[in-house]
Amino acid sequence: MISLTSLAFVSMMLFSIGAIGVISRKNIFVIYMSIEMMLNGINLFLVTFARYHFDMDPQIITIMVIAIAAVEAAIFLSVIILLFRSKKSLDTDVFTTLTQGEKS
Amino acid sequence: MMVDVLFIGLSLLSVGGALAMLVYKNPMYSALGVLISMLSVAGIFALLNATFLFMVQIIVYAGAIMTLILFILMFLNIREEDLPEEPNKFKLIGLGAIVMIPLNILVIQAVSKLPAKDMLLTDTDFGDLAPIGIVLFDNWLVAFELVSILLLVALIGSVVLAKKRVKRVKNQGDES
Repeated sequence: MISLTSLAFVSMMLFSIGAIGVISRKNIFVIYMSIEMMLNGINLFLVTFARYHFDMDPQIITIMVIAIAAVEAAIFLSVIILLFRSKKSLDTDVFTTLTQGEKS
Repeated sequence: MMVDVLFIGLSLLSVGGALAMLVYKNPMYSALGVLISMLSVAGIFALLNATFLFMVQIIVYAGAIMTLILFILMFLNIREEDLPEEPNKFKLIGLGAIVMIPLNILVIQAVSKLPAKDMLLTDTDFGDLAPIGIVLFDNWLVAFELVSILLLVALIGSVVLAKKRVKRVKNQGDES
């Protein structure tokens, strides 16, 4: 049961749910957590192939990805706090300051 | 047999937590779903002989990142009317699923063509702390140093973002 295909299925499910969350939700917190979920799915894929090839390098890459996710959490959450303070909303359609359109 | 039951349970929990993140409107429930998913993925890491990554996943992801998200959610004091209206959320989720299905089929077909190997737990020290440290400081030293510089930059950046804004920035925003 614990085979390469089933593990690949679980990790692709996690990655796809993350991608669907980025596409379909408007809440900026949920978008951030969807990005984390995509990173998690890729981590699971890397660890699966580390066990499959009995090689340690993918686990090192996974450690790097986890460190980068921690960095991303710090920056993204402080940006979310600034956006929420200025607009009082979590809707991604409100944050249009950098667009070129006539909507200000 | 025991390992199979554990694996099926952890997989269902991880996918279920991710689905909970996707469908709940309140971000607090979404964060708890993500927490369940992270912990289950840590369990699957342990089943795949990656004991050090199991600990790192629990400490960094579940312990630091999700706690930070929950702290920020409580700190912002989000009310029900601050949440965005998402009237056609489930329609968009279905559309996204249709977009993602071909990629899934492609990857799973490619992976199922690979020769099957035994993926069970082993008694070797594969994935233990000492072998990972040896590989990390032998082959990946430059990447390790770059990640430490990145952490320093993120520290400075979040301090700069969190400090008090000067009035001038707001005035410029009003003029344009």
